[in-house]
Amino acid sequence: MNEFDDKPSSGDEQLESQLRDALRAVAPSEAFSEALLARLASERTRRTGRYSGWWLPASLAAAVLVAVGAVEHLKAAHEREMGLEARREVIEALRVTNQKLDLAYQAVRTQSTSLSEGDPGA
Amino acid sequence: MGCRTATLPPPDASNEPAIIGMDEQLLQARAGVPQALAALVRAHQRSVYSLALRMLGTRDLAEDLTQEVFMEMTDNLTSMQSSEHLTFWLRRVTTHRAIDQLRRRARIEITSLDEETQHSGGQGTGGPAISAAEKLDPVWHRHLRLLLAELTPDARAVVLLRYQEDLDPMEIAHTLGMSINTVKSHLKRSLEFMRRRLNVAADTRREDHST
Repeated sequence: MNEFDDKPSSGDEQLESQLRDALRAVAPSEAFSEALLARLASERTRRTGRYSGWWLPASLAAAVLVAVGAVEHLKAAHEREMGLEARREVIEALRVTNQKLDLAYQAVRTQSTSLSEGDPGA
Repeated sequence: MGCRTATLPPPDASNEPAIIGMDEQLLQARAGVPQALAALVRAHQRSVYSLALRMLGTRDLAEDLTQEVFMEMTDNLTSMQSSEHLTFWLRRVTTHRAIDQLRRRARIEITSLDEETQHSGGQGTGGPAISAAEKLDPVWHRHLRLLLAELTPDARAVVLLRYQEDLDPMEIAHTLGMSINTVKSHLKRSLEFMRRRLNVAADTRREDHST
């Protein structure tokens, strides 16, 4: 046991030698070996086939999903923009109306002031 | 022992760029050449199967684990950076899976050693499976393997990597995710245990012969 122990002994070396002989690798049966190779080959073919059969429809489905998502996103953005535009127009209309009302108010007030100054009995 | 994951770092990732050193067979297997994949499996199946068999104790479980490991290998071929990395990965995944299985089982089954010896008698590819020494004393070697089955899963993995796979303690520590001191401790205690039991067996043998 030279490399594991400080004091190697001939008994250890003999046992190690016997273990090497006893634990020599053995081969599986030829039948198992053939079956294993056949299984590996068929599994590989199946997986390759499954991949090539799947990936095209999967890619198409993904592309359609992306396209639908993009269209929906653009539509939502457009609708949002239309809403903002309408809001701006309403605010502008309110502002113009407010201006007109101010002008009318000023006109009515001016007229009533001049009427009261021309009627001393009032 | 820490996590047992299939995606593992290469053993010498810091030393060389990934592709350098990768042999043609691995490159071809990665590219999907069936013959290259078959050659890779044939090159490594003895090691994987033997580790599985001696860890788990029965041929059926060993075959199941071997198949599982090679299936996982084909799924992870693109992450294999060299043939050394592949060998390291196979040993690591096999031993970790086997240890996990053993920990889940309440009681391990002792290897049917007749089955192993009979099975290893030249049916496989790649040369004779039984050593000349074992032909001389198969009973003694069976006894050694029975003793191996009595070790804890971690200790068994350490002994197998040391004497079946011929790894040094540092490589074993790296493969099993243990500290080097733990590996040395497992080796020392396992050898002491085996030596003690073998001495008893030898004494019994001598007594049998003398009577």
